[in-house]
Amino acid sequence: MSTLLLRVYDWRWSVLPPVTGIAMMAMIVGALVAAPREIIEGEVQRLMYLHVPSAVIMYLAFSVTAFASVMFLWKRDIRWDALARGAAVVGVFLCGMALATGAIWGKPIWGVYWTWDARLTATLVLFLIYSAYLLARSVAGPLDEQAARYTAIFAIIGVADIPIIQMSVRWWRTLHPQPIVFQPTPALPTEMLAVLALGFIAIAALAAWLIVLQTETERAAQRTSALRAEIDHREIA
Amino acid sequence: MTASPPDVPIALEATALTRKYGGVTVVRDVDLALPAGSKTALLGSNGAGKTTLLKMLSRLLTPTSGSFRIDGHPGPSPEAARAVGVLGHSPMLYEDFTPLENLRFFARIYDVADADARIEEILRQVGLWLRRHEPTAIFSRGYHQRLALARALIHDPAVLLADEPETGLDPEGVALLDEIALARPALTVLAATHRIDHIGAWASGIVRLERGRLVEDTSSVGLATEGTPA
Amino acid sequence: MTSLTAVVAKDLRLAWRNRAAWLSAMAFSTIAVLTYSFAFDLATGDVRPLLPGVLWTTFLFAGVFAAGQSFQEEVDDGTFDALLFSPVGATTIFLGKLTANLIALLIIECSQLVLATILFDVGLLTPELLGIVVIGTVGYVSLTTLLATMGGHVRGRSVLLPVLSLPLLVPLLIGAVRATGASLGLEAGTAPWMLLLLVFAIWSTLAAVLLFPIAAEQ
Repeated sequence: MSTLLLRVYDWRWSVLPPVTGIAMMAMIVGALVAAPREIIEGEVQRLMYLHVPSAVIMYLAFSVTAFASVMFLWKRDIRWDALARGAAVVGVFLCGMALATGAIWGKPIWGVYWTWDARLTATLVLFLIYSAYLLARSVAGPLDEQAARYTAIFAIIGVADIPIIQMSVRWWRTLHPQPIVFQPTPALPTEMLAVLALGFIAIAALAAWLIVLQTETERAAQRTSALRAEIDHREIA
Repeated sequence: MTASPPDVPIALEATALTRKYGGVTVVRDVDLALPAGSKTALLGSNGAGKTTLLKMLSRLLTPTSGSFRIDGHPGPSPEAARAVGVLGHSPMLYEDFTPLENLRFFARIYDVADADARIEEILRQVGLWLRRHEPTAIFSRGYHQRLALARALIHDPAVLLADEPETGLDPEGVALLDEIALARPALTVLAATHRIDHIGAWASGIVRLERGRLVEDTSSVGLATEGTPA
Repeated sequence: MTSLTAVVAKDLRLAWRNRAAWLSAMAFSTIAVLTYSFAFDLATGDVRPLLPGVLWTTFLFAGVFAAGQSFQEEVDDGTFDALLFSPVGATTIFLGKLTANLIALLIIECSQLVLATILFDVGLLTPELLGIVVIGTVGYVSLTTLLATMGGHVRGRSVLLPVLSLPLLVPLLIGAVRATGASLGLEAGTAPWMLLLLVFAIWSTLAAVLLFPIAAEQ
C-alpha cells in the first residue's frame, strides 16, 4: 500500500503539471465558448465553472489538513505538519476564490456583492478559521513541535466545528441557490454539466499540485532549520 | 557500565533514553542505573543534554524512544510521579500564595499523610516556619530556593532530580541543601551541576554527558567512598 | 477526586488573589455595555432588540480576554511544570482552570445582567435567561481555556487568541443571541436555540477535555 503510494507520488512532477494545464485550458475554453449562455443569468453565470469546484474542493483540502493534523498528533512526525500547512494554504486560497467569484456573481444576480446567507457565512467563517490557523502556525518556527501540536489541535477543532457552523447558520438564514448538481436528475443541461465536470478535474488537479508544491516548500523549510540547528549544536559542543 | 553492588536496589533506571528536538538529537541512547541512596552529579557543558535528560526523567518531556523506571515503577505511571521530587532552575512556586498555602496544595496533590505535621517539619528544616504566612513573591532568590526544596521533598520522594540547585543560593543555602537533600541516606539524587569543585562533598559518583551521549558513568561504583572521581 | 478538589480550590484561590485582572475584565464589559447603549440609543429609539447582541459580544470579548491570562501565571511561575510532573493528570489541571474561569465569568456576566436590567429597563434576571447564560458560557469558556494553553511560547498570543477563538464560536454566538432574544419575547421559541447551545457546549467541552493533555505536553 505505502510503496504503491510512494510510486504514485514519484510521478507528481510528470503528471500533475500537464494534467492541470490541459484541464485548466479545457475548462476555460469550455466555460467561455462551448457552454451555452444561461438565459436568465447571462454571461456571469459562466463563473459557476470556477466557483462550484473551488467551493467543493476547498472542503477536501481542509479535510487533508485535519487528517494530516490527526496523523501528526498520533505519529509525532513533523512531516505531517508540513502537509497540514500545505493543504491549509491551498484550502484558504480556494475558499477565497469561491468567495470572490461568488461576490462577482452576486452583484448582478442578487444586487449585492455580499449577503448574510447561510452558505456564504459558513464559507466566510471557514476562511477566517483557517487563516487564523496559518497565522498562528507561522509565528513559530518550522520545527517548533509545540506550536505544530497546538495548531494541529486547532485544525481538528476547526473541522469538527464545520457541521455545527453549517447547522447554526442554516437555522439562522438561507438565500443561496439550492444545490442543483448533486441530485438524482441534475437540473443542468448536458453541455454545462460536461464543462462543470472539466472544472472539477481542473481545480482538483490544480489543488493537488499546489498542495504538493506547498508541502514540499514547508518540508524544505523544516530541513533547512534542522540543518541550522544541527550546525549550531555542533559548534557549541 | 559497572555492575551495581549486590543487594542495593536500583532506584532510577533508564534504558536507551533518546530525545530529538527540532531535528537535533539532544539526548542519545542514555542508559542509567542509579542504586538507591546514591548521590550522582550530572556533568556536561551547556547544550550537552543535562536539562533534557532531567526533564524526561521528571516526565516533563516524552522520550522520543527508550524507557525509564523510577523506584521500580514504569516512567509514565502516577506511582513514578509520586516517587520523584524535582528541583529546577525556577522555584516552581505560586508567587501569590504563602509558603504554607504552597506546601498545603502540593501536599494534597501528592497525597501526603498527616500533611500539617509534615509541612511544619519541612518548613522548620528550611528555616521558613516563621515566615510561613508571608507572600512568596516578596522572598529573595535564596528563600525561594529553600521553599522550592521544601516543595520538592514534601512527599518524601525516593528520587530527587535537581537541575543546578546551587544557582541563586547563598553559601548558607548550599550548606542547607547538602544537609537536607544530599545527606539523606535513603534519598537517591541525580543533580546537574557546574560546581565541580563542590561535588566531592556529596557525590558518590558522576555521570557525564557530551553532546547527548553518556561518556562517563561512575554512579554505581563508590557508594561508600567519598572520593572525587576522575 | 481529592486531587481534583485540591486543584479546583487552588485555581479559585489563584483567581481570587489575581482579582485585579478579573476586575479589569468586569470593568471592560461594563464599559462595553455602556458604550453600546450610548451608540445605539442615538440610532434607534428602542434599544431592546439590540440587547442580546450587546450582551453576548460583551460576554465573549470579556471571556477571551480573561481566558488569555488563565495559564499565564502558571507558566510564568513555572508551576505549570510542577503540575505536569505531579501525579495529577492533565485533565484535572484543565478542569481546575475551567471551573475557576467559569465561576469568575458567571459573576461578571450576572453583574452585567443587573447593569443592563437597570439601563435598559428589561427584566433580564429570569431563570430561563440565566440558564441560557450558563450553558452558553460553558460552551465558550472550555474552548477559550483550551486555546489559552498557547502559554508563554507563542508570540503575539494576546492578539491571536481572539482571532483563533471567535470564528470557532460563531455557532455559539448565533444560538445565544437568538435564544436570549426569544427569551426576551423578541421572537418566538427558545427551544431550537437552546438545543444549539447545548450541542455546542457538550461538543466544545468534550473536545477541550480530550485535546488538552496533548496541548499541555512539552
